[in-house]
Amino acid sequence: MTIVSSSTGAFFERARQDMTALRSQTEQVQSQIGSGQRLDRSSDDPVAASRLRMLARSDKLAKIDSTSANRASADLTLADAALSDIADAIGRAKVLAQQAANGTMTDQQRASIGKELEALHGSILLLANSEDSTGHALFGGQSANQAYTLDAAGNAVYVGSGTSGELPLGEGQSVTRSLTGPEFLNFTTASGSGDLMGTIKTLADALQGGSPDPAGAARNSLDALSAGLDAVTTGQTIIGARLAWIDVAGQQRTSRDELRAGEEMDVGGTDTASSIAKLQEMMVVLQASQASFAKVAGLSLFNQLN
Amino acid sequence: MASDLLAIARSGTKAARAALDVTAQNIANASSDGFVRRSVSLSEVSAAGGVGRTGDISLSGVRIDGVTRNADLFRQAEVRRTGADAARADAEVNGLENVEAAVEQAGVYDATVDFEGSLKQLVSDPTDGSLRAAVIESSRALASSFKVASTSLDAAGKGLRFQAQDDVDQVNLLAGELARVNSRLSRATEASSDQSTLLDQRDNLLQQLGTRIDTTATFAPDKTVEVRIGGSGGPVLLSGQATSPLAMTMASDGTIGFTLGGGAVTASSGALAGRGQALTQLAATRGKVDAVAASVIAAVNTAQANGVDLNGTAGQPLLSGTGAGDIALAQTDGARIATAPAGSSANSRDTGNIAALRTAIDTADPAGKLDAVLFDISSAVAGRTVTRDALDGIASNAKVALQAQAGVDLDQEAVNLVRYQQAFQASGRVMQVASSLFDTLLNIR
Repeated sequence: MTIVSSSTGAFFERARQDMTALRSQTEQVQSQIGSGQRLDRSSDDPVAASRLRMLARSDKLAKIDSTSANRASADLTLADAALSDIADAIGRAKVLAQQAANGTMTDQQRASIGKELEALHGSILLLANSEDSTGHALFGGQSANQAYTLDAAGNAVYVGSGTSGELPLGEGQSVTRSLTGPEFLNFTTASGSGDLMGTIKTLADALQGGSPDPAGAARNSLDALSAGLDAVTTGQTIIGARLAWIDVAGQQRTSRDELRAGEEMDVGGTDTASSIAKLQEMMVVLQASQASFAKVAGLSLFNQLN
Repeated sequence: MASDLLAIARSGTKAARAALDVTAQNIANASSDGFVRRSVSLSEVSAAGGVGRTGDISLSGVRIDGVTRNADLFRQAEVRRTGADAARADAEVNGLENVEAAVEQAGVYDATVDFEGSLKQLVSDPTDGSLRAAVIESSRALASSFKVASTSLDAAGKGLRFQAQDDVDQVNLLAGELARVNSRLSRATEASSDQSTLLDQRDNLLQQLGTRIDTTATFAPDKTVEVRIGGSGGPVLLSGQATSPLAMTMASDGTIGFTLGGGAVTASSGALAGRGQALTQLAATRGKVDAVAASVIAAVNTAQANGVDLNGTAGQPLLSGTGAGDIALAQTDGARIATAPAGSSANSRDTGNIAALRTAIDTADPAGKLDAVLFDISSAVAGRTVTRDALDGIASNAKVALQAQAGVDLDQEAVNLVRYQQAFQASGRVMQVASSLFDTLLNIR
């Protein structure tokens, strides 16, 4: 503005405008430092605000992914423990079957071995009906009830659904949270397919007088028990692989979280050092203009006339 | 004709007195709004010599020619024009900021994300009562934040229309005042202090009128003003003492229009134009928010209808309503959320239907659309703020330029005070000289 001579009103008006502008800029920088946020409202920087909203949304959804991953991890760990116990039980059943296959045993001894096998059958049934972290059947797929029930003859029957539920891990990845009972309790041998609990139950019945040749039945069951142990350890391998996958997905999620946090800071955060320097600069300018205003405003010809 | 020393001195003191009065008036009004600095113009009084009397000295002193008002018509017109632009931009930005705050502070975006999150969490255990309750509560929060956004938008629209109505009333009031000033101006004497005061009033009223609606002022030789809306070919608001009433009309979507004396008229600058533009943007934003709310309601209710709830019965609508204004939660029991596909038994852990619901929500993309709404409105605010600041700067410059020319400079007035005081004293001394001359003549004996 080039005004050579100026009226008093114009002088005050201009000084007021300049100082108000400086003051409002100073306050803006101060509030940025105070809140640590560069944006007070979306219109301060619409593009950055939109990006921040998207990042906040991803953050919120990633937290839920992390909860889901923890839940899947807990379920798979429970399944792993149950499978270990079942493998131990199968090992014991194999030992017992081998003892029973020995021709020197009396029928009485075989009957007591049969009793122990029956107890093993019971404990495998209990393990197969384990509950997951939310209290539902761990190996029952998505069924609302137990995985296995006993029919009238005392045989374990699978009543769960065909597949286990999947949990999302974020970025389109998901993991199956458990195995269904038949996935590790059913197996195939050279003589056809069978299931573990059925094999042990049949053997227990045979050793307790259900078969004319209990030693032969015990010998025949050894193959099936080995195949059963194979199926269970295969199940454990699958669970281990899934747990490792959850870990990988978790690491990916963490690195994405870090990236997001970094971007949030870049887009929406305040650089405190430069903001403080800017504030200091503005305060110097504001003080100088206030001081010069006070000096110039005090200049009046009326003070000199008397 | 001869001169009269005493009479000349008397006219000198009179002129100096008048000039001192005007100076004092200037000092007193140094910060009065719309006051334009006056100055006294003086002219010599002397008679032309008659035939054969060319040697005569016929001087009669000084007389006050008139009170000059130092107003620059161009700068005044600039102040009106730039002031109207700045007022328009300011009103628009204020209105848009209210719209932005209404949508942003209602938290409708966050509520949508929370709703998506609660659905995602329900996948991990669809029979869990607390997770189901979380979905119900997040739906409730979603519905109420949509409602808050809708109510806030309504309130912002109401406020804008109220202000616009007030502006319209003010325009009519100011036009009436101007008509009265016109009638007094047509009777005022040229270059009188009375006329100067009326002209100050006239310019002040015109400036106030200009901040509300864009006007073109045409001045008649007797200094009365004719005001037209818009350009010089626009409809006449005021001519002489006749005014046409300005009125506001409202459309069903809340946008406003104006009529002057019954005929439609467009405001292209001034606060009224700004409020009109803000209301148009508000109606558009409202429509978009309503569409997002409707898409959420449709997606949720369609998915509900395709599944069965925890009790094994077919899903019922979860949300009722048709838009942001009337969206409400229709179910309060978490068990009524249809997580399993049709045909599943009670207590099913099948997440087929909730996956379908999440896909439907992803397709409807309420979060993305709300983000777009917020982005639209906030970038409109940001862009218009830049325009507003620029127009504000131009308007203040025009104002300062006018004030620098027409305002009072106290230093100059101080100088005038001394100058006219000295002139008064000098005239007094002339009287003394005249008196002593007279005494000299009387003392001849």
